[in-house]
Amino acid sequence: MLFQGLVGLSEAMYLWLVAAGLSLIFGVLRVLNFAHGSLYMLGAYFAWVAFRITGSFWAALLIGPLLVAAVGWGMEYGFLRRVYRVEVAFQLLLTFAFVLIFDDLVKLAFGPVYQSPPTPAALSGAVRIGRSILPTYHLFILAVGAAVGLGLWIFLEKTGFGLIIRATAADREMARALGVRSSRLFTWVFVLGAWLAGLGGALSMPVRAISPGMGEFIIIEAFVVVVLGGLGSLRGAFVGALLIGLLHAYGLVFMPVFELALAYIAMAAVLIVRPWGLFGAREA
Amino acid sequence: MKLVASALLTVAVLLVPAVSGPFLQYLVLNMLLLALLALSFNLLFGMTGLLSFGQGAFYAGGAYAAALSLRAGFSLIPSILLGSVFAAALAALIGAFCVRHTRIYFSMLTLAFGMLVYAVVWKWTDVTGGDDGLIGIPRGAFFEKPERYYLLSAVLVLVSIAVLHRLSASPLGLSLRAIRENAERAEFSGVAVRRTIFIAFVTAGFFAGLSGALLAPLEQTISPSAAHWTKSAEPVMATLIGGPFLFAGPLVGAVVYLGLKEIIVRFTEYWLLVFGLVLLGMVLSFRGGLLGAAADLWGRRTRA
Amino acid sequence: MAPRRGISRRNFLQSSLALAGASALGAPDALGAPDLKLKKPIKVGCQCILSGPLGGYGEFMRKGATLAMEEINAAGGIGGSPIELNFRDEELKPDVGVKNARYFVQDWGADFLIGIDSSGVALAVGEIMPTLNRVLIVTHGATEKYNEDLVYKKHIRQCFRVCVPVYQDGIASALVAKDLPVKRWATISPDYEYGHTSWKMFRAYLKQNKPDVEFVGESFAKFGTVDFSSHISKVMALNPEGIFSTEWGGEAVTMIKQAKLFKVFEQTKAFMIGMGSAMDVLQGLGPDYPDGVWASGRYYFGYPDTPENKRFNDSFKKRWDTYPSYPSETSYTALNALKKAVEKARTLDTDKVIEALEGLELSRPAGPCVIRKEDHQAVYAVPWGQITHDKKYPMPTLTNLKIFKTEEYYRKPPFAPVEG
Repeated sequence: MLFQGLVGLSEAMYLWLVAAGLSLIFGVLRVLNFAHGSLYMLGAYFAWVAFRITGSFWAALLIGPLLVAAVGWGMEYGFLRRVYRVEVAFQLLLTFAFVLIFDDLVKLAFGPVYQSPPTPAALSGAVRIGRSILPTYHLFILAVGAAVGLGLWIFLEKTGFGLIIRATAADREMARALGVRSSRLFTWVFVLGAWLAGLGGALSMPVRAISPGMGEFIIIEAFVVVVLGGLGSLRGAFVGALLIGLLHAYGLVFMPVFELALAYIAMAAVLIVRPWGLFGAREA
Repeated sequence: MKLVASALLTVAVLLVPAVSGPFLQYLVLNMLLLALLALSFNLLFGMTGLLSFGQGAFYAGGAYAAALSLRAGFSLIPSILLGSVFAAALAALIGAFCVRHTRIYFSMLTLAFGMLVYAVVWKWTDVTGGDDGLIGIPRGAFFEKPERYYLLSAVLVLVSIAVLHRLSASPLGLSLRAIRENAERAEFSGVAVRRTIFIAFVTAGFFAGLSGALLAPLEQTISPSAAHWTKSAEPVMATLIGGPFLFAGPLVGAVVYLGLKEIIVRFTEYWLLVFGLVLLGMVLSFRGGLLGAAADLWGRRTRA
Repeated sequence: MAPRRGISRRNFLQSSLALAGASALGAPDALGAPDLKLKKPIKVGCQCILSGPLGGYGEFMRKGATLAMEEINAAGGIGGSPIELNFRDEELKPDVGVKNARYFVQDWGADFLIGIDSSGVALAVGEIMPTLNRVLIVTHGATEKYNEDLVYKKHIRQCFRVCVPVYQDGIASALVAKDLPVKRWATISPDYEYGHTSWKMFRAYLKQNKPDVEFVGESFAKFGTVDFSSHISKVMALNPEGIFSTEWGGEAVTMIKQAKLFKVFEQTKAFMIGMGSAMDVLQGLGPDYPDGVWASGRYYFGYPDTPENKRFNDSFKKRWDTYPSYPSETSYTALNALKKAVEKARTLDTDKVIEALEGLELSRPAGPCVIRKEDHQAVYAVPWGQITHDKKYPMPTLTNLKIFKTEEYYRKPPFAPVEG
């Protein structure tokens, strides 16, 4: 039964990567990016194209997310920054427009057929744990998720840029008063968030079917994770993702009837007890 | 001016069956139902800024309750009423949990409850027909004729719009707007903030339920997608397209949203792309929605 | 052109039958069609899923219908009138499906409706057909409720279907499974009507044929599942010897890839997947599709080995540069069935065309077929087979084909409830 939890945690890592970017962007820009799932989708497609050209999974893993980061730059620089002063809901609508646009662009460019390159040979093995078998790829995902978590923590706690991000997330006016050039900061944070989503997508490429619209299935779950953990809190996003992963894995075994609703039940329960999420700031 | 506009709207809506083919009539009725759903959504959003992402739950609640009642042999009008009342009761239940929350947390909690309703509808096959939904919903011999059903629905929607308009100018509406400006000050000046929001929430649930209760007999079928978040997103989109700060904004938005989609799908398979681009253009150029922008243009931005 | 290995005698017999019964369905008629002085053009509205993760299905359907239209029109149309096709996205939403159908008939002026991918949409649209009073030929939605409830029990005569229903996934599969050395079965299937019904049928019919089987576990995955890992580990913890699945489209691709990572194919003796021979799954998995997986569909391009099927495959490949998937064949057949029925009825009148369609015999690419009068369901045989990698093809194919007599697995009126 412990094994089931381990599998759940490995599934949670993709969600964590998407949620981390979403939470980071919200923390600094105060924008809930509906198109974050689409950036995950683009990560998978770009990595797939890179794989087809280079023939190397590792090169694809490097190139795919960078291309998504570039798209993120375009989104923020070209569009989002025009609507920071508008009602929050219009920002949401703007990012939703991108969901529709990206879905069809991907279909135009790559066709509606599922794509799924083979799992790299080095990672297609499995290890035996007791009576169960865990794929090497799942171990790899767990390691990547943990490494990204650690990397983000070091980045935010130990670097100057990280300090600026934290300061801005905590108090935007104060940060501006202290001379933080918020427009550049916003762009870079959005680019980082996009890169994280792209990384999640690139990692999913060899083990999940790639198709237009695949982002829609992950975005709402990522919202749930981010809100459950507390908007703008990376720690919250991490804990939230693990919680949803475990709930899903064990829920399947013990309460299969509720599979459809478990994540939402969890979020509702947390919000009723703590209206600002597990690690969120009260007034967000 | 407003009186003229509403009179024109009423006449136009009631004349549709006389002058149009069956599909246009059907499309206009769909627009009216979405307009009602969006207006109900905007009762909260437009005045208090609370964005409910779970309006689909009440819409579906009304639709399923009405459908079950019709299938049990009750006649049309009581069934529609029952649907709306059921939706209001559902809204009371869910609203009790949601009114404490603000902004995004409010949106997400309503989303969660909406999806919970969706899951219940999906899994409770014995009652709801599961994912296949309920099919073959009768609407009685008299209303079998599409024109009659259209007129009944149109009248009910128009009356509801009038009631919602009155509400926005009532003490309830004033309290809601006070909350939007500053919740704490409103509390000090004697507005029971949570109770006011709760009342608005339940009222919104009632009208969302009415919209759903009118849909089920129109389509003669109802499925869980009515409760899904993608359905809840439609009134949000219609409202934002039309403009949330004017009473008629959601009405205009509903017509534009459905009309635009109908036109686009006739020309291209890539309707998501075209629609997305139009949406993008609208957000960037008309910041307060279409009607908001028009009102700005004419320089008489009187808040409805 | 079909993989010939393991083709049974029954198959051979059916092929000969197809040859004998071939009425050159869809083939250009050298004499041209007779001019029946019908309305010009004859309008056919086709709705299918064209957006989102399952958009590929609609694409294959559109290609099949378009090919049929082009061939029929090149040969003089239906009774001298050309066909005009119009496509709309059904979005897998019943309300959208109903709106599309209304648009087609009441605004665009459709004479016939075809298509529909989702079972829920098929039921919803079927339900309003008496109001619209047009013939609807469903080409993908597979729920047995469509023919058993809507047509047989509720007498909605306008509804027809030319694709094999869930009997293929739930009953023919049991006929394959009874001869497999597997006693302990488990399932990973979609958490909606289709998944539950096919698992229920599979259990009921397998138990009848092989009383000592056990069903040790089930894991139903919601629509839009992006990761099957925890479903796989849940089911594998129960030590099944065989896995039965009705996942389809991208979800089937994901599930099989992940099952492979979990070494499911080494640990079990059999793996069956109802929609596994659909072209999107074959192409999506490519070299990753494990050998020996039992798969089926609503038509498989390599069966039967008839001139009819070969011609369809050739012209499809020539026109679209891909092999046909099953919705391509079913939509192609729908238009050809309409042509045949209209030319028989010599009118577009719905009642007359319904009469002409009832009991109509067709020789379609998928083989000989008859549209049953009682429930308006096309009856034809589709093979189950095992995945193999044949260098002659750019994607995996089937071998060891098992073809059953249709009377062995098509449920018949009065459609007694499935026990179990």
